[in-house]
Amino acid sequence: MIRAILACSGLDKPEGSVAREVAIRVAAATGSEIICPVLLNRAPARYKKALGESALIVVDGCPTRCASKLATTLQATVDRKVLISDAVKATGRSLKPALTLAPDDLALTQSIVDELLRNLNAPTPVEELASAFESPTEYIVVAHDKFEFRIPAVDYLFNENDVWVRALDGVARVGISDYMQQKLTDINYFDSPKADGTVAQFGELGTLESAKAVFEIIAPASGAIVAVNPAVVANPGLINEDPYGAGWLVELKLTAWQQDIELLVDGGAYADVVKRKAAED
Amino acid sequence: MSETTFMSVQRDKIPWFPTIDYNKCTFCMECDTFCPHHVYERRHGDPKLVVANPNNCVVFCRACSKTCGPEALSFPDKTKILAQIKQIRAGESVK
Repeated sequence: MIRAILACSGLDKPEGSVAREVAIRVAAATGSEIICPVLLNRAPARYKKALGESALIVVDGCPTRCASKLATTLQATVDRKVLISDAVKATGRSLKPALTLAPDDLALTQSIVDELLRNLNAPTPVEELASAFESPTEYIVVAHDKFEFRIPAVDYLFNENDVWVRALDGVARVGISDYMQQKLTDINYFDSPKADGTVAQFGELGTLESAKAVFEIIAPASGAIVAVNPAVVANPGLINEDPYGAGWLVELKLTAWQQDIELLVDGGAYADVVKRKAAED
Repeated sequence: MSETTFMSVQRDKIPWFPTIDYNKCTFCMECDTFCPHHVYERRHGDPKLVVANPNNCVVFCRACSKTCGPEALSFPDKTKILAQIKQIRAGESVK
């Protein structure tokens, strides 16, 4: 696979120094082209070929996520992302405020590189545990102005954060509602949770990004994350096309379902939530 | 406009909203630009940014903090807030 790397060049922060170093090392290990964000911003035509033909790795330094925003502005398709400040936190260490990286910062940088390379080489996350989920056939439709928001009439439960859950034999699929996918518009990145982690109800199951917004996926139920939808990771547009079917996000092995249900609403009650939210938009 | 209820609980009974650490905030206004719910408000005086409409904040959403370069935004502990919501739903008083 041909890859290109778009990294924060953050010259004024240590996270930027790490991002730059990560880009150089990953490029060397994978034979990828490095895209200069400053030049890309100034003359996007220079990288038209690289962006069009390569799987893009985006390396952001800090949560301002300049590189991600640049990719979004240019409508580039992103294959993988790393946020250095989060990656550093995940190691339990912190960077020194200096812009020149000390030996232990470089060791930390290499560990981030190693993790990224492992992810790049890993097979697409995990198998689907339950395949008996069928797309809904009966919908409640909430109409607002020129929009119509579909909500499955049965089998799907919702939290008020616009995330659905459908349970079957102790396993559940999770996704976002038609209302939320329309509100986000074209979704271009699914920052997925780790497929071997666990989540508590109302914890975070990753984020979705569109040109318009970043959406935090609030878990509708507690459980072990047993699958991340590889088709959506590869093509987040599936969420827009089929939010209740092919656009599912993760599968959970449920751990407290009877308790979790109490804080969820059914399709009819969620329709009232959508009506209220649409009126406030 | 604020949501009036969340999970059948009056929104103003749920203390979920961001807190700005003014020792870290650089007033880049990324959070205010990002948040579609007008939780933040820019001011001419000091400080230049405040959490003006805390009850507009979507309960359990922390997306604005992901836009904050200097990591100046924090939110309450979700588990504690959830426990409070459950208590209120059960008709108990919150300590």
